[in-house]
Amino acid sequence: MRNYLRQIGTILWKDLLVEFRTRERLITMGAFVVLVAILFNYAIDWVRVSPEDIASGLVWMTIMFAGLLGVGRTFHLEAEDGAFQGILLSPVPKDAIFLAKALANFVFLYIVALLVVAVFMFFFGLEVSRNFGMLAIVIGLGVLAFVALGTLFTAVSTGTRMGDTLLPVLIFPLLAPVVIYGTGATSQFLAGRPLTEAEGSIKMLAAIALMAFFLGSLLFRFVVED
Amino acid sequence: MSSKKILLAGTVLAMIGLVWLGAVYWMSFFWVSTEVTQGIAQRIMYVHVPAAWTSFLAFGLAALFSAVYLWLRDERLDRAAVSAAEGGMVFATIMLTTGPLWGKIAWGTYWTWEPRLTLTLLLWFIFLGYFLVRSSTENPERGKRHAAVVAIVGALDIPFIHLSVIWFRSLHPEPVVIKAEGPTLPGDMLTTLLMSFGAFTVLFLGLFLLRYSLENLRSELDTRSRHASV
Repeated sequence: MRNYLRQIGTILWKDLLVEFRTRERLITMGAFVVLVAILFNYAIDWVRVSPEDIASGLVWMTIMFAGLLGVGRTFHLEAEDGAFQGILLSPVPKDAIFLAKALANFVFLYIVALLVVAVFMFFFGLEVSRNFGMLAIVIGLGVLAFVALGTLFTAVSTGTRMGDTLLPVLIFPLLAPVVIYGTGATSQFLAGRPLTEAEGSIKMLAAIALMAFFLGSLLFRFVVED
Repeated sequence: MSSKKILLAGTVLAMIGLVWLGAVYWMSFFWVSTEVTQGIAQRIMYVHVPAAWTSFLAFGLAALFSAVYLWLRDERLDRAAVSAAEGGMVFATIMLTTGPLWGKIAWGTYWTWEPRLTLTLLLWFIFLGYFLVRSSTENPERGKRHAAVVAIVGALDIPFIHLSVIWFRSLHPEPVVIKAEGPTLPGDMLTTLLMSFGAFTVLFLGLFLLRYSLENLRSELDTRSRHASV
């Protein structure tokens, strides 16, 4: 068990180190988030709608699209160098590779997701201080589900001629429950509703994240078999 | 069963299904009584509901065959999975085109976020992904494995999609008249509906077997041409 965790930790640390040295994905995702918010400013008539009313949907969709950008690049760097073959040939179990890759994606996307909330606070005066802790948990669970499905299906789409363009077709239908429960809970928090109202949504998000991680670690070996 | 027998069984079942379907059309147009509130448009139900059932059956079979394929790696299971998935796409498309036609008359709008409608649309896209993965992967063996993964994850995600779209609806009740369905379906309507369920199921099984034997022939052709080139 300890050995297993160490293997996950090693690959995770390698991915984090590469990213924090190059900052490729974090910079592109972060820039995307801010630029989208700027465009939202002109696309939406903020005189008629208050940010609290529509922010939860915009926040979640921004996270989804930024996530596509980041998660889609999970295997690119290693594929270019042929390094992924090396990882696959190493004695690390395939599910450990999957978990490490998904957790690395989680770290990147969670940072970006919190940036999304911050950008909405900064640009549109969104009031989140009341329930920030719960909001962070809800977004964290949604991001967990996203990265688990995203990492599994990026491995699928990277092997196709269509590449990353196929990724949204594969994961958006599966992520519908994440968006539904995520926006539901988020808008309840933003409206200042009591926490108990969002309890069901949070449990469902946790269940989806758990299932996504379970399926990912179970099925990843079939995706990277050759 | 030999491939010839499967082809024969498929042809016979598909023929029976088509004739049966003709009978269902005759019943739903000329025999069954017209529903009072919805009028003539209600007759779409006799196509719509059985098509929905058949597509769910087909997608379920596709996911099941895919899971067993990853386990046993028998080519025949993959062929069965793709045949079932294709049938599912056809019947889901029928459901998704007849639904809005009926909805326009009954609800006054083509589309509504009715949970079952939404679920089927998402399912349709999940299996679109299944076929895109198959066709765009360079290595066919890998394409089969990847597509199987798509089908399995899709099938296991269905309960969550189902729960969430129902929950979404309860969160946003819509002022539309919900389908007046229930156990109180008059006798002749129930007969027609059950007949249609039978016709669609038999037709699907026939098409499935035909499609499966086509897939067998394709792989045989593939093997022979490879031998010939060697």
